[in-house]
Amino acid sequence: MGKSARLCLGIESTAHTFGASVVDAKGTILTNVNSTYSPPVGIGIHPRKAAEHHAEVAGQVVQQALSGSGDKKLAPDIVSYSAGPGLGPCLRVGATLARAIATYLSLPLVQVHHGVGHLDLAMASTEARDPLAVLVSGGHTAILVHVGRKWLFYGETQDITLGNLLDMFARETKLPTPGGRSVESEAARSKRLLPLPYTAKGNDVSLSGLLTASIRLVKMGNRVSDVCYSMQEVAFSMLAEVVERSLVQTQKREVLLAGGVAANNRLKVMISEVAKDHGASFHPVPISLSGDCGAQIACSGQLAYSYGGEISISESIVVPRWRLDEVDVPWIPLS
Amino acid sequence: MDTTQLDMQPFQRGAEADLFLTKIGPWKAVVKRRVRKKYRIPQLDQRIRSGRTIREANALSDAKRAGVRAPSVLSVDIEDFAIAMSFVDGEIARSCLDQLPRREQSRVLYEIGQQIGALHEAGLVHGDMTTSNIIISRNGLPFMLDFGMSSHSSDPEDRGTDLHLLQRSISTSHALDSRRSEKLIREGYRREFGDRQASISFLRQKEISRRGRYFAIR
Repeated sequence: MGKSARLCLGIESTAHTFGASVVDAKGTILTNVNSTYSPPVGIGIHPRKAAEHHAEVAGQVVQQALSGSGDKKLAPDIVSYSAGPGLGPCLRVGATLARAIATYLSLPLVQVHHGVGHLDLAMASTEARDPLAVLVSGGHTAILVHVGRKWLFYGETQDITLGNLLDMFARETKLPTPGGRSVESEAARSKRLLPLPYTAKGNDVSLSGLLTASIRLVKMGNRVSDVCYSMQEVAFSMLAEVVERSLVQTQKREVLLAGGVAANNRLKVMISEVAKDHGASFHPVPISLSGDCGAQIACSGQLAYSYGGEISISESIVVPRWRLDEVDVPWIPLS
Repeated sequence: MDTTQLDMQPFQRGAEADLFLTKIGPWKAVVKRRVRKKYRIPQLDQRIRSGRTIREANALSDAKRAGVRAPSVLSVDIEDFAIAMSFVDGEIARSCLDQLPRREQSRVLYEIGQQIGALHEAGLVHGDMTTSNIIISRNGLPFMLDFGMSSHSSDPEDRGTDLHLLQRSISTSHALDSRRSEKLIREGYRREFGDRQASISFLRQKEISRRGRYFAIR
């Protein structure tokens, strides 16, 4: 078996998405199959219902990921799963399946941190090697730099994430899921800035007050599109400002934008302006790989395995609360 | 004063402002001009730039009145989002703190704590308290800079935020022993602000530092 022929199966199941993907040792994505639970309009993700959805689709998703193209089945050499952070009931579905496959096929098992997976996949699909990493998703809103063997938080949200802000606003105002996309398309129909709180503290942001104030503006009778426009402009400007400050302080030459909210075009434009203004290159994750998916786990699993990340079945727990700066990532900076 | 009429030399470029060196009367001065950010829509951009320019000018003089070391405001040009202030000759703490001899370093950290304590005692908070915003003057005295996000507040939340931001900037950007630095900063802070008030700030600081995502409940 050649080195690049070593295949890693990755199983993602932290929140609303159940995904499975096969990635080779060079980081090439061979398959990436995902199924997302979507709650009715106006309702958030119920952890048990999401877990039930995952259990239902798991077999089919994994089978499809392993069937590859044509008749040639993909035989994995490593099994990796998202061990956290995320919703307990959802995490356990993926972990149980990963353990079963690893045991049945006698394959090494690897744990992946979901946020590290976002960063690894984004880096594998762009030219970034040692970036200032901006991770924006439903689970994270953080500015990270790599120091020693770990990612270090340079700035982050002090309360809810950008993904929470967009999703919860969409939920409260009965916009269809996925909330981020709804807010973005509503915002595109307005150019009217309403007053909203702007809360940047040093390199941190706080978004919960902005959410409350935005919902109040809608209740007061303002047009939803005007509120979406204003909320996006204010929230993204806050983030862009702390990214800019972090970039000046760390003197990094690359800016990586990863995570589900990286699909937002307005945010992408803003962060790219910041990078350009300071002579840094800008590396947004491709839109098709921005959201939660199996490929982020398979990609990170490959790297972790190469650096001795194999664990035994008895160690293969799930970790609903798991800080990104606790994870060893010796493969960064990429050479 | 119309700062665009001054004879200015480009000095430094920060995240939100350009700095220029000039002379106003007998004084060596710095003009800090908040520049337009292309990523922000003009309406928001203007609001932030003028708000912070006014805020910073007021806070600088309030801080000085409270006995905190900071540059003196010489002139404000709101039309141009610029403040002219006295030049403080020294080095940014971020780039010189690690190289100081140990005893000198301890004294500086203690004095930084004292400065923040004095600021808080006067009912002011800084809002962006990092080692990038402190200058160590040539004779070794810490000066506070960049008051654009400052406010009048006696809320433990805002005081705790100042201490938290400073502590994180030390642990992420310096090779210092962050426990030792925190101890020294706290001693200075306590000395200036008193036991009771200081303890309230420290308690909130600890809470804020664990507010990030996915801290385990241990």
